[in-house]
Amino acid sequence: MGMTATETRSTEPQIGRRRFLAWLSGLGIAGSAALGSLATFFFIRPRTTYGQPNRFKIGRPDEFPSGSRIAIDPKRVCIVREGNKVAAISTTCTHLGCIIAPSATGFQCPCHGSRFDVDGNVTGGPAPKALAWYAVTLTPSGELEVDKDNEIQTGTYLSV
Amino acid sequence: MSKEQNSIGKSVVDLPANVTRSIFRNPLPSSDRGRAATSFTNFFLHVQPVRVSRQALRPSYTMGLGLISFFLFVILTVTGVLLMFYYVPSTTQAYDRMLDLRSSVVFGVILRNMHRWAAHGMVACVFLHMCRVFFTGSYKPPREFNWVIGVCLFGLTLLSSFTGYLLPWDQLAFWAITVGTSIAGYAPLVGKAIKFILLGDATVGQEALLRFYVLHVVVLPLVLTIFVAVHFWRIRKDGGLAKPETEAAPKRVPVQVEIQEDAVPIAASGSVAVAAPVRKFTIQGLVRGPLIKVGKLEEDTVFSWPNLLIAELVVLLLTIAGVMLVSFFFNAPLEQPVNVMHPPNPAKAPWYFLGLQEQVSYSAFWGGIGVPGIEVLLLLLLPYIDRGKEGVGRWFARQRIFANSIFLFFVLVNIYLIVIGTFFRGANWQFVSPF
Ligand code: HEM
Ligand code: FES
Repeated sequence: MGMTATETRSTEPQIGRRRFLAWLSGLGIAGSAALGSLATFFFIRPRTTYGQPNRFKIGRPDEFPSGSRIAIDPKRVCIVREGNKVAAISTTCTHLGCIIAPSATGFQCPCHGSRFDVDGNVTGGPAPKALAWYAVTLTPSGELEVDKDNEIQTGTYLSV
Repeated sequence: MSKEQNSIGKSVVDLPANVTRSIFRNPLPSSDRGRAATSFTNFFLHVQPVRVSRQALRPSYTMGLGLISFFLFVILTVTGVLLMFYYVPSTTQAYDRMLDLRSSVVFGVILRNMHRWAAHGMVACVFLHMCRVFFTGSYKPPREFNWVIGVCLFGLTLLSSFTGYLLPWDQLAFWAITVGTSIAGYAPLVGKAIKFILLGDATVGQEALLRFYVLHVVVLPLVLTIFVAVHFWRIRKDGGLAKPETEAAPKRVPVQVEIQEDAVPIAASGSVAVAAPVRKFTIQGLVRGPLIKVGKLEEDTVFSWPNLLIAELVVLLLTIAGVMLVSFFFNAPLEQPVNVMHPPNPAKAPWYFLGLQEQVSYSAFWGGIGVPGIEVLLLLLLPYIDRGKEGVGRWFARQRIFANSIFLFFVLVNIYLIVIGTFFRGANWQFVSPF
């Protein structure tokens, strides 16, 4: 009897240590899994992209005569010129990303029939919001530069 | 040990038999004991139960839909690995490789066709299999979690098809993925991030092609395989396919199996055969370990070998035949190479997403994220919501008329949307009549 009791007492700390180790390794593995997932997330989220730069030059102001609306499909912007005012309107449909084309009344999307007015406001179809306007600047070399990372308010023109 | 047994001559003579016996632990079964033993001595057969209910074997009950889904997945793996020998996931080469499959690769066309049609077939069969499981009430306890795994399998199947869709890099591929990933972008909060990570860039391009390729050939098949393995394992652990309640519990009587001890013992070799006496066993005498909880089985069962095995082979044969036949007569489509400047009008997603696209044309958020999200959530929670125990294991049981009606309604609405999106939508997504 006494023997059993001694045994129980002597094994007690051992079990405690084991349990501690089990908790420790469990915690370690869970921690590694969490950190690993986080690291994987940052790994697969590209920091630089290989696609087109979002900031690009489009040419001199006089290449865009007054009253013209010239869509540059590869860049997915439409350059609008009215008098001495210039603006860049996105031609990526806000519905599901198809390329829209200028039409008589503004813009028209070929995918699900969204229509926009000349300022890019939705006039029909499933598109949920207006087309983005991008900041246009005049570089020292006298060329217009569009920055698609810089969305500005609808109706904001650059005077040239 | 006699000298003769070790002689070279005898080794040579016995070689075929020895090799065969070393590979197949069990001879072709001729007795009930042998039939039981085949199921646990063979790696490929140990997935099978020893005995299987007659109902599970009835073609009109399961319609073999789960099995067909699995075999289509096997066909997809084989043909897909072969296609990988020629495919290059590059925006400048992918399309040319598709043309090469047509013009210069021997059997290239038939392999591509098989891969494409099997993929469409798998989406359809997995969906129909889900309907079968629902209409027979087979998601009731203890099968709730296998239903959840099934829903994941359905999602993985759709994702596999969707990622494969981009790989030919033709107009169809490019615009379907452009539309599809834009839908993902509508998810609240995380949508933009998911879209960006999926595409690896702001728009569909080289990064997206590479990412979809890796997902399509490695990540998704691997995950799918693991889920299928768990799915199958749980079918066994849940006691096979669901059975009607009236036939299940009450009639559990021990099955008497008459056993003629095998003349050739399983493990030992070459010793003198002893004519063994005929003995009577109940089934638990045959099945070791925790495989069967009570040694009692329903009377209405038969041995898997050969009954289940033959059924499976027939389904496999029919599946292969079906895929081959379609692939001989219909070529997988290949449209013009990608032209980022000119979306086809209308730009349509793959047919199984056209219901989604049709919904999206009414409201991008609700059609693309809101309603489908609620539907998936309902599917996942279904076995925990519907706890009724009646009408399990029978098609359209009267007790389940409410649940079945709701499900049928959802199925019909989705089929209706797909039909509208596929046949009745023309340029600018205007309503057109195909007739
Ligand atoms: C890759 C996709 C899938 C494969 C390969 C697969 C395979 C199988 C197989 C071979 C069976 C045996 C019975 C039969 O053939 O019908 C089965 C049963 C079952 N499957 Fe699937 N399945 C898949 C997807 C699903 C889905 C989408 C669901 C439901 C959401 C599901 C839920 C179930 C359930 C609950 C059972 C047990 C049915 C019963 O007890 O009668 N499976 N599956
Ligand atoms: S993408 Fe323009 S309307 Fe759908």
